Amino acid sequence: MKLEGTRSFEAPRQAVWEVLNDPARMAKTMPGVESFDVQDDRHWKANVKIPLGLGVLPLSIGFEKIEERPIEYARLHANGSGVGAIMSMATGFHLSEADGGGTDMRWEAEVKVAGPVGSMGQRVLQPIVNQQVQNVLAALDEQVQEAYSAG
Amino acid sequence: MSETTVTPERPITVEEREVKPGFVGTNVPRKEDARLVQGQGVFADDMRRHGMGYVHFVRSPYAHAQITGIDVSKALELEGVYGTLTGDEVAIQTDPFFELSTPPGSEIKDYALAVGKVRWMGEPVAAVVAATRELARDAAELVEVEYEPLPVLVDAEKAQDVEAPILHDDAGSNVVWSGEFDWGDFDAALAEADRVVKIDRLHFHRFSSTPLECSGCIVEYERATGQWTLFGNHQMPGVGAIWMAPALRVGIDKLRFVSHDIGGAFGNKITLHPYFVACCLLARKLRRPVQWTEWRTDQHMANTHGNERTFLDIEVPVRSDGTMLGFKVRAIDDCGAFPRYEPLGCIIWAQVTPGCYRWRHVRVDFTQVCTNKSPVAPNRGYSRMQQLWFTERLVDIVAHELELDPVEVRKRNYIRSDEMPYETPNGCVYDSGDYALCLDKALELIDYGSIEQRREEAATRGKLLGLGIGSTLDSGTNNFGQSMILNPELQFSGNNEVATVKLDLFGEIVVTLGTVPQGQGHETTASQVVADILGCTPDDVHVRPGHDSYWNSHAGFSGTYASQFAVTGIGAVKGATERLATEMRQLAAAVLGCAPDDIELAEGQARMRENPEAALPFMALGAIINANNAGLPQDLDVTLNCRYVYRPPFEKPDVERKYGNLTLTYANQVHACVIEIDGETGVYEIVDYAAVDDCGHRIHPQIVEGQVHGAMAHGLGAATHEQFPYDEDGTLLTANFYDYHVPHALDMPPLKTDYVESPSPFTNYGAKGMGEGGGAGIHAVCAAIQDALRPLGGPIVTDSCNPPNRVWELIRDPEAARAGVAVESA
Repeated sequence: MKLEGTRSFEAPRQAVWEVLNDPARMAKTMPGVESFDVQDDRHWKANVKIPLGLGVLPLSIGFEKIEERPIEYARLHANGSGVGAIMSMATGFHLSEADGGGTDMRWEAEVKVAGPVGSMGQRVLQPIVNQQVQNVLAALDEQVQEAYSAG
Repeated sequence: MSETTVTPERPITVEEREVKPGFVGTNVPRKEDARLVQGQGVFADDMRRHGMGYVHFVRSPYAHAQITGIDVSKALELEGVYGTLTGDEVAIQTDPFFELSTPPGSEIKDYALAVGKVRWMGEPVAAVVAATRELARDAAELVEVEYEPLPVLVDAEKAQDVEAPILHDDAGSNVVWSGEFDWGDFDAALAEADRVVKIDRLHFHRFSSTPLECSGCIVEYERATGQWTLFGNHQMPGVGAIWMAPALRVGIDKLRFVSHDIGGAFGNKITLHPYFVACCLLARKLRRPVQWTEWRTDQHMANTHGNERTFLDIEVPVRSDGTMLGFKVRAIDDCGAFPRYEPLGCIIWAQVTPGCYRWRHVRVDFTQVCTNKSPVAPNRGYSRMQQLWFTERLVDIVAHELELDPVEVRKRNYIRSDEMPYETPNGCVYDSGDYALCLDKALELIDYGSIEQRREEAATRGKLLGLGIGSTLDSGTNNFGQSMILNPELQFSGNNEVATVKLDLFGEIVVTLGTVPQGQGHETTASQVVADILGCTPDDVHVRPGHDSYWNSHAGFSGTYASQFAVTGIGAVKGATERLATEMRQLAAAVLGCAPDDIELAEGQARMRENPEAALPFMALGAIINANNAGLPQDLDVTLNCRYVYRPPFEKPDVERKYGNLTLTYANQVHACVIEIDGETGVYEIVDYAAVDDCGHRIHPQIVEGQVHGAMAHGLGAATHEQFPYDEDGTLLTANFYDYHVPHALDMPPLKTDYVESPSPFTNYGAKGMGEGGGAGIHAVCAAIQDALRPLGGPIVTDSCNPPNRVWELIRDPEAARAGVAVESA
């Protein structure tokens, strides 16, 4: 499924960029993170349990930063696998100065969930993913504010 | 054009005897119903054994991938987990299941669990056994499987492309079987025709039947004898044992199959052998009984589906008056990841090669391929349903293109009742039937004369009204010799079924069946036959529920499938009962001092015809032979325990010509469907529906009626929304009831039914197998949609499943839907 949206942050672009590129802070934005391991500055791994309404979906996810143009754009690939599910995601972030200060972020993501879980959830997956995305963005806002306040 | 009709050389008829009123043909109360409606039926999941463990299968999330590692250690650490099984163990402890095909299909290696590679999403990769079902499921999540994904093949039409991924490296090809069928003289038919209707592509979709009861078993292993007992719901244990025993490297005597009640099977409980073998290995390894019940999602995702078939490059030579001379087609059959029961579907269709029609010239190029989808298996109407939908589509498309009335085209081309028995171009013998009469009755039920008026009335409400016909055959009692047309090396031919009937110590009449009933009322119908022969009532006859291969009422082809109980099962019961009746007369004659011919069986007694006072109740006969036999003549060869193997009169087919009688009986169904379509949205409603069934003499009309209803629901579900689509990654998109909607009572239109009885000249009682005629409904809906949309540019319906979104596409772009159809002058 394809998702896209915009989000505004009350923080300069540099601050947002740094959070987006800080695996430790990004880990705090993800749902149900049980462990997070930074392999190098382009590769991370996470074990997560994503809430799926009636249960959780445990996934082991590998992240790879594919492309970056500092403080403007970054592209990320994530591939996860778990019991009965395979997840892949390609996502991009575009940062721009907002009118009156702050930062606007335009993002897009293509998420694929395959395997039995994907099969079962064809109709219910979209709202669940939408909800999780909103949670991630809210957490990202918190992280940006925290990082910006900390200077 | 010459036509041949034949009289069978060895017709099977009921022995000449006086006609007397009996229970056969009447609606006696069903013996099964009391326990079933009270929840007292015993199904596979009702069985329990001391110390048993529950099996849960770890399944592949990938449609195609190498397995690079399996680690079960974390699952084994969980308290309450008894053990696991992996593909590597299976590969060591078993041999691959034997394949029916010739190369390349015969080179495929099929095991109980995936070995080295997975080939469809949901394929079992490992199994976990634990103290509870829930624990086994949790533990299965701890099994770590590493995969290396491979390119996925989901399009059967691309399976032979050079760049297509190969599923089975041992076979070196995705082709399972291919062959050409050429009967009559198609080139001459082209020359004789006025027009040739060409159709690029027709598609029969993938779906399945949905038994109320999922598959399951309890398996016990007896170490002392090396024997497994399988309490389960395998619907064809004879064939199951033929697959399983060699794989397990044991004799067939080491596999005891037991079933009690089965909550529907429809063919998808024929190929349970991989699961059953895995359970056998686990029971032996863990030294405890193991129980497996399939989850519903597993049933959708990884039990068997019906064959998906694509018909390409179709040519139909036709005269201007609508007389159709035959057809030519290239068919591609998609059997999913493993052939299993296949490639039998590559020949089963030929039982009904010309459908209901007098077409003599047929050329078929047939190829079956593997794809990364769930394997297929016989599914109610197996392989014939696809072919019959195809022949019906030809009729309606030809009628549409030549601007003829589909009803008239059918009547012009139907095989006539006075031509019966009728030999088809490939040597099958249609035993009896009056298709035109069935059509007339169906049309009468839906008030055919008022259709144009109703069409106009519907238009005033913004609706498009259409009428569609589906006329199909339910070929029953198949000749397994047809498998030799696919693979001459196979040693299968004919068919058989077994029953035993005995008179027990206290006069109980006890019947055992080999037929493994699944809800078809075998206990009832068998008791009707026994009662008529022995001169008692069905209530006096005790038919053991279910099946047990220990009963000695078991043969290689035992089971219920291919519409044959009324012929094979009843044939066995009748034969065994007649033997018992003969023995009872012999015994009574010896006791009463007369000749056996002087004895009649009536009112629960064996008595002298001329002196009814001289009588022995059945109880006395049972007691004498079983417990009080001193003084009986030494040459009295009577056991009162009789076994009979019914064997239909088949010959082996001519393998070279792919010619022969492939099945014994042909029930006929004609369905008429009236729909109304919303021209804006494509949403439609079936507003009138009729089904006329002719299955010869009906042994129990109410049971026949129930089967007709069930088959209709099955067909209408398939026609309107039941489908198993896969995305490009091989993910099944309708893996549960949320997305795969099975019609329930409120979805069904009001049904009008009627019947015709054209007795079969080849069977006991003139009965025919039935119950698989739902395919008529699939086509009736297609034809009704095409008829309704005629005013909107005349789109052609090319797919067997037409949910509203597809109808909307036909409305939106009728030209695109017509693009693949052309009429050429010959």
